[in-house]
Amino acid sequence: MLRFDRRLLLNIDWVLIMAVLVVALIGLANLYSSTHLYTNMGTPLYIKELTYYLIGAAAILLIVSIDYRVLLTLNYPLYGAMILLLVVALAVGKTVGGSQRWIDLGFFRLQPSEPAKLILVVTLASYYYRKETGKGFGLLDLAVPALLTALPFLLIAKQPDLGTALLLAFVFASMTLFVKLRWTTLATLLCCGLSAIPLAWKFFLKPYQRQRVATFLNPENDPLGTGYHIIQSKIAVGSGLIFGKGYMQGTQGQLDFLPERHTDFAFSVWAEEWGFFGSSLLIICYFFMILWGLNIAISARDKFGVLLAFGVVSLIFWQTFINLAMVMGLLPVVGVPMPLFSYGGSSLLTNLAGLGLLMNIRMRRYMGTS
Amino acid sequence: MPPRPLAKINKIDPAELKMLKKRIDIAMALIILSAVLLLTRLWYLQIYRGDEYAKLSEINRIRIQEIAAPRGNILDRTGQPIITNRPRFNVVWNREDAPNPDTVIKDLAKILNEDISVLLDRIRAATENPRYMPTRLKEDIDWETLVTIENKHLALPGVRIEVMPSRDYLYGDFASHLVGYLGEISRAELSEKHYAAYQSGDQVGKQGVEKVFEKYLKGEKGRNYLEVDVHGFEQRQIKLQDPYPGNDLHLTLDIELQRTAEEAMAGRAGAVVVMEVNTGNLLVMSSSPPLHLQEFIGGISQTAWDRMLHDPLHPLLDKTIQGQYPPGSVFKIATALAAISEGIVTPDATYFCGGSLNFGNRRYGCWKKGGHGTVDFQRALIESCDVYFYSVGMRLGVDKIAKYANSLGLGKKTGIDLEHEKGGIIPSTTWKQQRYKEKWHDGETLSVAIGQGYVLTTPLQLCRMTAAVVNGGTLYRPQLVHRITAPDGKTLKTFSPVSEGKILGSAHSLALIKEALVGVVNSAGGTAKVVALPDVLIGGKTGTAQVVNLSHVAGMSDQAIPYKYRDHAWFSAFAPAENPEIAITVLVEHGQHGGSAAGPVAKALFKRYFELKNGTPENPAEGPSPSPAVDEKEE
Repeated sequence: MLRFDRRLLLNIDWVLIMAVLVVALIGLANLYSSTHLYTNMGTPLYIKELTYYLIGAAAILLIVSIDYRVLLTLNYPLYGAMILLLVVALAVGKTVGGSQRWIDLGFFRLQPSEPAKLILVVTLASYYYRKETGKGFGLLDLAVPALLTALPFLLIAKQPDLGTALLLAFVFASMTLFVKLRWTTLATLLCCGLSAIPLAWKFFLKPYQRQRVATFLNPENDPLGTGYHIIQSKIAVGSGLIFGKGYMQGTQGQLDFLPERHTDFAFSVWAEEWGFFGSSLLIICYFFMILWGLNIAISARDKFGVLLAFGVVSLIFWQTFINLAMVMGLLPVVGVPMPLFSYGGSSLLTNLAGLGLLMNIRMRRYMGTS
Repeated sequence: MPPRPLAKINKIDPAELKMLKKRIDIAMALIILSAVLLLTRLWYLQIYRGDEYAKLSEINRIRIQEIAAPRGNILDRTGQPIITNRPRFNVVWNREDAPNPDTVIKDLAKILNEDISVLLDRIRAATENPRYMPTRLKEDIDWETLVTIENKHLALPGVRIEVMPSRDYLYGDFASHLVGYLGEISRAELSEKHYAAYQSGDQVGKQGVEKVFEKYLKGEKGRNYLEVDVHGFEQRQIKLQDPYPGNDLHLTLDIELQRTAEEAMAGRAGAVVVMEVNTGNLLVMSSSPPLHLQEFIGGISQTAWDRMLHDPLHPLLDKTIQGQYPPGSVFKIATALAAISEGIVTPDATYFCGGSLNFGNRRYGCWKKGGHGTVDFQRALIESCDVYFYSVGMRLGVDKIAKYANSLGLGKKTGIDLEHEKGGIIPSTTWKQQRYKEKWHDGETLSVAIGQGYVLTTPLQLCRMTAAVVNGGTLYRPQLVHRITAPDGKTLKTFSPVSEGKILGSAHSLALIKEALVGVVNSAGGTAKVVALPDVLIGGKTGTAQVVNLSHVAGMSDQAIPYKYRDHAWFSAFAPAENPEIAITVLVEHGQHGGSAAGPVAKALFKRYFELKNGTPENPAEGPSPSPAVDEKEE
């Protein structure tokens, strides 16, 4: 059914594949270290994660075999499906940790806010591609993409999952700035945005979210309550010193002082066991992957490819940056997982699909545009 | 290819491509900047402040468990242990380790022979504690229970045996007031400077030498460094630092003599002090009735405390140093020393005792109603003639008497290494002025001269006075501890005799008094003839201390007088007369007659002392049975 152009094989992006493989192997090894002591959870988590990786690899194969331009016709159906899933999650979703994020499919618990990130990227790339503007976007031109973003943003914030919602806002802002705004528009938006912060604090944030921000500003005020995560994560990272405590030797992680150590705080486990040496290596790996993604964007054969690649890169960048800044105490704990590194099927498959899109764009950079 | 044709798409306009490239470059710069920011933060946490966080992670994971050190032993002067330690076994319960707690607790209750509700109450009381902390279900189980639990430990998951060192009182309540007891450190003590190294829950000496010599006895706690997880459960042992036992305290007490004294005083209230006259070392310090030391282990119960508090025999009081009693006729030693030294009397000058003396408009009676007739200095002491001492006291005046009494160590603390010692009272004109803002009445001097009135002394003071009078005039500080040795046997500290100076009075005067005191025991008319031993020459002085005004008991026979109104009986003695070695003071509260109540106790002690000294095989201790040869009653 799929007619494969031989040139596609020649243009396979081995660099990106290698980078993803390195990060995946490190992530799996780290997951083994942080979860091998969990004995009563059925299938070990690293086996589950490995399974998701294999499913993700298959998904990448499928994605790269179809020209990404098909998304220009599928973007609104995808968007509609995403909104539907988010509504379903709110209506009948599983409540875990106080928020309704999951839809139980029996074999898999889907977290619709994860694919929503990527679908928003596709939606915005399609919209900005179609909306040709020479002199930059004005305020009115932004009304549609802003609405397209606001809908999933509100549905996700309602769960509540402020981290993912803000991530959508960051991705929207990044892509919008990238397609060029008029200076006046930019200035107006900046002013509105800044004045909205106090209003949002008062009316939009839930008390626990306000608490998290307050705690972030001064974690020692509440060392056993909401400040606990930040303090224990900083201790884990800091006590790694130069070469770390050794693989599976991290006391903060192995002795359970570190909360969420296989999901949001997976990097802390790595930093504790591998020190500055291992942590900076991992960070460099990620940023290499991100910069390589920008390279893919600029070498794409068409503007849709550029916008799509840029959107995927901004998604991966913001997740990475927010997660690292969070576990190192630079940002409040908002629950954004580290792409590929934090355990979680929905997040992993979404990010692998995004990387698949990048490979897709890379492979077709020399292809005709017809 | 896909079912629908792909959207027509155009190559990027080169001008737009250039602009997009420019923005990609800006994005790259921002991304690299954020990478630098993250790497800087990483460096800050792991390298700049890494040591600090490494320390915090160690504190997180390591729990230090303290191991109580065995306390130093307390031994007698011959090195025989009096108080040692024994392991005390407690049953503890860790609910986390038990899959089915209900059945385990039910089985355990049967083994411990406790009602199940008692155990459940203990568990309920501990629900606030962290989960890893075991709950103590029963303290100090016996050997058989221990063996049963150990044998069934597979059927009792979560049940463990905890071993703690605890005091082992080898001779029961032996010298209980002197050795004192232990208790959990109080909140108030914890805030004191010299308890800075202690923690709540620690056992400390609360009374007696256990408290005074706490710093020598306590030892060094051991430490068990355990790795724990976030819930506090032990993962493994990192390091074990063994405890170092406390130092041994060698008392000056003599086990044999102390036991003799305690047996002789059994059932009565009072005190016995035996002192080496040439060192001040105390061989016996006994206050009756004793404290029940066993009751203090693990904290004394309120009922036991209340019972002691309301006991008419006052077991809580250490009568040797805290009991203040009128010395009665024993005080005549001081009055006699003052009179002869001040030249008020000569040894040969006589007074006539007709049974009473009139002074002012009052009649002062002698204890011997018919009177002693003509008495000289020594006779007056031997027969304890009140009228003689009324007369010399009147001529001396209270301040002269006080001067000599003070020089004999009365009216002030002896400085023994025990807390809460009382000083007693030796009245004088200035004392009365300060205390009552009143002038001294000469009539009061008459009472003082025979050891009544305001005069109060402790048994230890009178024993020391007796020792000083017969040892050539040196007042020694009473000593309880001979030396302190480390667990390896090395001597850390020795206590040599401490002289507090010479007493007033010439050697000749002291010799006259000593001779008279030998007469008290050995000559016709002496008040303590019952005490005399065949092969050792003993000297001493009896005393009877009035507790209430005579009018309360006038005309009653001894048995008819209510216990609390009966006189206290004193006897203070020394031996051997030629070259005195020990002084003994016995007080029997409400014992009525010095010679008959207190004398036999002293006699039994002298007998035992010389038996031990001369290596005579041990005879069954001669009981303090009241001798049938009761002396005349003295007043």
